[in-house]
Amino acid sequence: MTIPIILLMVFVLAYATCSLRKLSVELRLLISAVVTGGAGMLAGVFSPQDLPRHLVEGTFAYLDIVLIFVTGATFMGILQAAGAIDYIVYYIVSYTGRWRLATLILLAILLLVPGALTGAGSISLLVMGAPVAAALASLGISGERVAAILFILGGLSAAAPPVNVWAMITCAGTAIPYVGFELTLAVPIVGLAIFTVVFLGWKRTSASAEPVKTLTRPVQEIRWWQILLPFLVFFTLIISTRIWPFRMPVLGLPLVFAISAFVAWFCFFKTVRLWSLSLEVTRRLLPLLATVVVVGVVQQILTATGIRGLIAYSVLMLPVTIIYAILPLVIPFSEGVLTYGGAAVLGIPLAWFFDSIGQHATVVIAGLSLLWLLGDGLPPTALIGRLSILTSGYKGKYTQMLRASLIPWILVTAVGLAMIIFSRRFAFLVAWST
Amino acid sequence: MQGKLGGLMSINRATCIKILLIVVASVVTGLGASQLWHHRHYKTPVVLGPGVTRVGSLSEYCPSLRGTLADALVFYLEGGEEGGVALLLGNSHPNEPAGFLASLVYIENAVVKKGTVIVIPFLNRSASCYTRPGDGYPLFFSIATPWGERIFRMGNREASPLDQWPDPDVYVHYPEGQLLSFVDARNINRAWPGRPDGLLMERVAYAVMELIRKRKVDVVIDFHEAETLYPVTNCIVAPEKSARIATLTALWIKPKEGFDCHVEPSPVGFRGLSHREIGDYSDAFPFLLEAPIPFLDQPTGPKTEELLLTGKDPFLLRLARRGRLFVPYDEDGWSIDRRVGQHLSVSLEILNQFSKVFPSKSISVVNVPKYADLIRFGLGSYLSDPATLPPDCVVYQ
Repeated sequence: MTIPIILLMVFVLAYATCSLRKLSVELRLLISAVVTGGAGMLAGVFSPQDLPRHLVEGTFAYLDIVLIFVTGATFMGILQAAGAIDYIVYYIVSYTGRWRLATLILLAILLLVPGALTGAGSISLLVMGAPVAAALASLGISGERVAAILFILGGLSAAAPPVNVWAMITCAGTAIPYVGFELTLAVPIVGLAIFTVVFLGWKRTSASAEPVKTLTRPVQEIRWWQILLPFLVFFTLIISTRIWPFRMPVLGLPLVFAISAFVAWFCFFKTVRLWSLSLEVTRRLLPLLATVVVVGVVQQILTATGIRGLIAYSVLMLPVTIIYAILPLVIPFSEGVLTYGGAAVLGIPLAWFFDSIGQHATVVIAGLSLLWLLGDGLPPTALIGRLSILTSGYKGKYTQMLRASLIPWILVTAVGLAMIIFSRRFAFLVAWST
Repeated sequence: MQGKLGGLMSINRATCIKILLIVVASVVTGLGASQLWHHRHYKTPVVLGPGVTRVGSLSEYCPSLRGTLADALVFYLEGGEEGGVALLLGNSHPNEPAGFLASLVYIENAVVKKGTVIVIPFLNRSASCYTRPGDGYPLFFSIATPWGERIFRMGNREASPLDQWPDPDVYVHYPEGQLLSFVDARNINRAWPGRPDGLLMERVAYAVMELIRKRKVDVVIDFHEAETLYPVTNCIVAPEKSARIATLTALWIKPKEGFDCHVEPSPVGFRGLSHREIGDYSDAFPFLLEAPIPFLDQPTGPKTEELLLTGKDPFLLRLARRGRLFVPYDEDGWSIDRRVGQHLSVSLEILNQFSKVFPSKSISVVNVPKYADLIRFGLGSYLSDPATLPPDCVVYQ
């Protein structure tokens, strides 16, 4: 039992040292994982030949997410380079800009849909992040608030039904059917999304005149079919696998994005240089991709050395009231360190534990997934937070963006926690869903 | 001049460091990758015991599996007398090795007097050739025997993406249309009853369903293991049609074998599981056996071979004292001998109870060790040495 504790201290110490040397997040994580793995090897936890294997094996943990990021960002990069995003923003704000509330809600829905369909907030940001951010900015909303809206709504979109990956991973691990989540997730998430976008977007916080007047009509001549066709192909491929699940071949999100990107390129092949653009997109994404790859290595080393088990054990040993009290900290923290691995490490045992003390497992898992989405803004990984910055073009400090998210963060936490503690009272949502 | 030289030297130094890092990364990758390659291509020996009358494959029942890494071996143990037919499934989840080892003990030891016993020890063969990235499992584990150590490969719960990829963003169960996690698309125990032109796992499930229908299988026993923190562990999961036999088995196990095993009902609203779909889509009586495996619990120490085999963990011990576990747990842990022994005794008792309820379809099997035998002599005592046997007595998967 002492070995995992010592190895955890080694990991923390290595990470702190790397932080003092001001190394990048991905290098901090990688070096900490290698050092901890080496210490584990010296402690006899695994053999010397196992260390390189753990390092290599861990890099494959989130390979699919890497592919989705690359292909998704290329898809949006093509539309951005072609000027299609400017067009979309111009028309959204032109038609709805006079009704601020309607505009904000429309933009929130646009951001929620791709993530809800695919279970990944990153998809929402990659597909809709840039145009929504530009539209929000044109409404006179400051940069950090735009990024904060993207971060919270991107997270909510990942948790929104029909596909909630955290809930699915927990259900798969606990042998609880992924049933009854539709309204249990949709009701709080729609409410929280509207609150977030209105709270952060209602006030004009940057100098701007009437929105429509500030936007100039894009000079490039673009036809509507050129903009609609790539999105049409993307959503058709996603939705058709749901409508005809046993007739459509499984394409997978990376290929769906790749096909959509090729269609987008076909629509704008005169103006977009695909090769140089994909190189540029990959270069911009590289720190994020490196983080995703390294998180897999960290997860592998933490598990092989028993540190991951120590974290789960420390939570489960606590009295139930203390568990409730620390959930708003440990659940986002687990997501920040392990991304989806957090759902397996804490979600599975917690779901069984709460079920055993009479809580409603489905509502508990839904409540936990509201807390997990917040972790995507926390270091070291901060996947959705960093993507929000990337797609919104916000140049300020990351902490400013997090500070702007504070009130929605607290409300999301309160709702998630209430769903866990008073799960039986929310059971009617499960009944209505089934 | 000095500045230029300094700049040149710093570039050279930076380039040297980069080259060095690339070399180190390549060496580490090569070392790690070679182990993973060896794991995937390792051939596990299976000794053909005295009761084996034929060895076939799943592709006989679904030809599209031929040539894929999902085409698993099927072992037939046919008795001299007519009787019922039982099918034993091991490695539905190859990270739950007690099931595979129990099926291996049947193949290497059992003699069927009446009826037929069919054994598929590597049901999800692809998953048995795959590790679990991020979870740090050992690649292999070895069982001590009187003649030395016998090495087995540790697998994963899901099939390898090298064999079935990409994953859908959500897995829609065939034919019920229930939404399941995307990772479950590669989980054979969410693919039942399967279809002939579906995903690889659906084709494996379909092949077994065809075997069940064509060979008129009466009893299907799917060997699994489950976490000590999971409420459905140390039990028999059975649908309504199998409930009577499961209950009789559970009642007799305690006085006869000295360990507890309760019955859990198969939920109607949770699709794709063997204990639900095999019963609904064939005439067979399905049973799913769960033995407690501490190795799979989240709050454990390092994921070592020792933890896998002994089931001893200090974290779980403390959690047990807090009343957090769903099975009794003490310093003795849950050893592989105990888990395999439970599977063998419970499966034999199911066949016994089935034979009592349906005398005309009775199945009689001898020479299979029971729980007490494994506790006393150890699992290794019932595993043969493939190296000392003629080549035609050993097959490899």
